[in-house]
Amino acid sequence: MRKSSKTLFALFVAAVLIVLPLQSVFCFALDNDDTTFVVGFDAEFPPYGYKDDNGEYVGFDLDLAQEVCDRKGWNLKKQPIEWNSKDMELNSGSIDCIWNGFTMNGRENEYTWSTPYVDNSQVVIVKSDSGISQLSDLSGKIVAVQADSSALAALTGEDATEENLALCESFKELQQVGDYNSAFMNLESGAVDAICMDIGVADYEISSRGDGFEMLEERLASEEYAIGFKKGNTELRDEVQTALLEMLADGTFDEIAEKWGLEESVCLSAEDEVTDESSDSGKDESFGERVLDIAGQLSKGLLASLSIFLLTLLFSLPLGLLIAAGRMCKFKPLQWLVKLYISIVRGTPLMLQLLVVFFGPYYLFGATLSSSYRFYAVIIGFSLNYAAYFAEIYRSGIQAVPKGQYEACDVLGYSRSQRFFKIVFPQMVKNIIPSVTNEVITLVKDTSLAFALSYTEMFTIAKQVAAAQTTIMPLFIAGVFYYVFNFIVAFIMERIEKKLNYYR
Amino acid sequence: MYLLDIKNISKSFGDLQVLKDISLSVEESEVISILGPSGSGKSTLLRCMSMLEKIDGGSLTYCGETAVSSESGTPVYANKKKLKEIQGYFGLVFQNFNLFPHYSLIKNVTDAPIHVQKRGKKEVMQEGQALLEQMGLGDKADYYPYQLSGGQQQRAAIARALAMKPKMLFFDEPTSALDPELTAEILKVLKELAKEKMTMVIVTHEIDFARSVSDRVIFMDGGLIVEQGKPEDVIDNPKNERTKAFLRKMQAE
Repeated sequence: MRKSSKTLFALFVAAVLIVLPLQSVFCFALDNDDTTFVVGFDAEFPPYGYKDDNGEYVGFDLDLAQEVCDRKGWNLKKQPIEWNSKDMELNSGSIDCIWNGFTMNGRENEYTWSTPYVDNSQVVIVKSDSGISQLSDLSGKIVAVQADSSALAALTGEDATEENLALCESFKELQQVGDYNSAFMNLESGAVDAICMDIGVADYEISSRGDGFEMLEERLASEEYAIGFKKGNTELRDEVQTALLEMLADGTFDEIAEKWGLEESVCLSAEDEVTDESSDSGKDESFGERVLDIAGQLSKGLLASLSIFLLTLLFSLPLGLLIAAGRMCKFKPLQWLVKLYISIVRGTPLMLQLLVVFFGPYYLFGATLSSSYRFYAVIIGFSLNYAAYFAEIYRSGIQAVPKGQYEACDVLGYSRSQRFFKIVFPQMVKNIIPSVTNEVITLVKDTSLAFALSYTEMFTIAKQVAAAQTTIMPLFIAGVFYYVFNFIVAFIMERIEKKLNYYR
Repeated sequence: MYLLDIKNISKSFGDLQVLKDISLSVEESEVISILGPSGSGKSTLLRCMSMLEKIDGGSLTYCGETAVSSESGTPVYANKKKLKEIQGYFGLVFQNFNLFPHYSLIKNVTDAPIHVQKRGKKEVMQEGQALLEQMGLGDKADYYPYQLSGGQQQRAAIARALAMKPKMLFFDEPTSALDPELTAEILKVLKELAKEKMTMVIVTHEIDFARSVSDRVIFMDGGLIVEQGKPEDVIDNPKNERTKAFLRKMQAE
């Protein structure tokens, strides 16, 4: 015993001694390589950075970055990022800069910036036949913006103009969406009436999506794009800035702008001086206050998550029983149909199923979607998905009831429904409690997938707050909320299990 | 009139013919034991009698009422209502009891009389308690099956069958899941029931059991009734070679 534990310890030490240096080699290779320049960008933001028809990442900003790297002798690494997580990416060093039609305005203090190189405006896109022709027509309408985008900042941010704030007030609803593709799907299907976005993106989207959409003449606000570096990283900023100015001087910059149809928008000038704001403003809130503040914001989302959770259980638990009945039905075609349904639900991602439930009615039948359908679609999608899983759990629970129980019922003259509800069902419930507990706990965490339909539940809010405050604390607090939620669920299920232990 | 009249029944599972042209009549108050090696078809016969298995040919008549008639070789079952009524004439006790695990003993015994036969709750509860007492389980009414020994569970199962007031009781190897000393408990109960003139058909492979309780012993082999008669004839002076072989083998154990 003692000898073997000594051997184990020696092996452990040896393993650590071998792995540690290896790890530092990897770290060096991945992160500390001076010649690799990692550009973080949202891959759904054409024409600045996106995936083209050949599956390559291309765009105006990526071409500029490539040119800078060529001049500096660096290797360019194009790193698509989740837009809400951009600050974590930058602060952790996994990307060197955010170069992606990145609006400076309102974010001046949060990054170390290059000088602005594109002057952009926020515009409104509507369906051609919508009858909306000016900003005042948007009153009482539902308007979509990308979460944490400059359009959102222009409408609701701290630096938003009075007019924009008043305009936003007049909307029926400001709907945040994850990306522009889903914004256009929402617009096309009628779930929203208009989208606010950057003019460069708008130009691109309208030209590539063809007729059916138009841009309002009136604009929201003017703003500038620049390259964002981690705060304090002036060294790298200066190197990139110098290269950009060289490109401007020899005409390369304008050539690239022309290639992407942005010659009207670019504004890079040798006269601009880089600015270095130093002190952080408005950070005098104490740690405790911030946590409370974040928890307060999250608790609103918690209510939404809770309603998804409860309504899904309410519908999927009984529906699962019906599906299980169909699955065990002796009428073969029904059995095959149910089998197919279960196999599709289990074989495809829940997120995709949610998208199909929400957008399906429009794309399949041309039905116009109302905004309240968003919530119904979440509940329908979740219920259909969980019902399939519950059905299989019920089936296993029913099959675990011995055949003798059925025979005893038949000999005693019970009817089929008496047999099921009095004898089989109670025994099934006891059989399946552990598996159901597992599913229910998974459901608590799965509620976060409602973000796919831009339904603001707790995790969506956590990501938005995290992006706005450039901290990952909201995500941790959300994690604590989920854990406590599940702790309570597990406790309740354990009580139920104990209660059913009156027999064996 | 016979309580049960079985005529020329046959039963196959796939290609395997388990019962070949079996006829058997049971008189009121008669106690019949069916003996035979495993695979002889004795349990299948009992399950066909209890209508847990459908027969392929022949007819079944209970107390003069036809459950299955034979029309030009194919069996025709009576309508559902009739079958339900006929089902009330007999009770079945299983090899492994099949009590409802989530019901207390008293609920096991009284649930079907209350909810199937729709008899008065008060009356049924009193009778149920009396039946449990008769089975020596008077103090166990609120126990759950898992809290009892196998012998106690089997006695509760007999009480459950008796609570339906059947005209006859079928037993499918009632002691083969029990230890020898528990077998004696069940034997005692069956003897008491015989004394009260209960009609019984018992499938068993306990020879002593069959000898001490039954009026008639039937020996089956290969899906056929090979020999039948009084226990002292069939068990002590068998005439058929297969019966002799079976009895020798059983007594050697």
